[in-house]
Amino acid sequence: MSYRDYVIAAYGVFAVVMLWDFFAPHIAIRQHVRAARLRAARMASNAKESGFPLSRE
Amino acid sequence: MMNPVVRWFHQLGSPPYFDRFSARWAPVAHGLGLLVMAYGLYGALFVVPADYQQGDSFRILYIHVPSAWMSMATFALMAIYAAIALIWRIKLCEILAMACAPIGAAFTLITLATGSIWGKPMWGTWWDWDPRLTTELILLFLYLGVIGLYNAIDDRRSAARAAGLLAIVGVVLLPVIHYSVTWWNSLHQGQTISLFGKSHMDASMLPPLWAMVIGTHVWFFGSLLARARADNLRREAGKDWVAKLARARS
Repeated sequence: MSYRDYVIAAYGVFAVVMLWDFFAPHIAIRQHVRAARLRAARMASNAKESGFPLSRE
Repeated sequence: MMNPVVRWFHQLGSPPYFDRFSARWAPVAHGLGLLVMAYGLYGALFVVPADYQQGDSFRILYIHVPSAWMSMATFALMAIYAAIALIWRIKLCEILAMACAPIGAAFTLITLATGSIWGKPMWGTWWDWDPRLTTELILLFLYLGVIGLYNAIDDRRSAARAAGLLAIVGVVLLPVIHYSVTWWNSLHQGQTISLFGKSHMDASMLPPLWAMVIGTHVWFFGSLLARARADNLRREAGKDWVAKLARARS
């Protein structure tokens, strides 16, 4: 009565779901930060092209 | 002068402050949770003896039970955050409520999958429309409903309110899941482990279980912070502090 394969399968499911739970938010954070960086770069290049400074400070 | 705890609570409502807080504490909670779970898993797989009736298959209990508890506790917490968000319009509580949903869905999925895998050798079937199994499946659908509703509406605040309402209404399912094994004739076994009362398990088998219960709770806290941080950044996209953060990380 070892049922080893069932135990391995159950712990495998646990490991896979926990890995997804760990990596999914980190990937989302990286994507949001990257999008913010691209947006900032786009705004800076638009300001440069139009010849107006971004701020008067 | 404001009480430091109250002041900290108010500060936490500030998106940039919450970002710094979650960036600092999410990895700590994940690391600590992993450490405690590693101790629990070692005990569950290598230390505790096999059950005299179920053999080694009973070891599935060490991931099945903590996940089942987390699936219900997470839903209750999500409803509490959603209620606070609806009543006091606190944006951070909206974010936290919605961050609970995928984590709770993950724990519910683990509960159902491990229960099914455990059920095959013990009951002779992968699935049965038993009250406990069916109500837990409905819980998964509720989580998916909350996630779907939140992502279906463009306006983040309206989306969080609609999904939060579903979470509050869904709370009625929790006592049904808990008492399903008492109210109905069930294939699923009755309560064997009690937080405060007497557990019907040998004392030598309990330490890894409590380690897993604590570990999954600490892990949950890390996931909650990480997911809330991601949603906070998504909502605040275009704000100066996010642009500064992006520049600092480039």
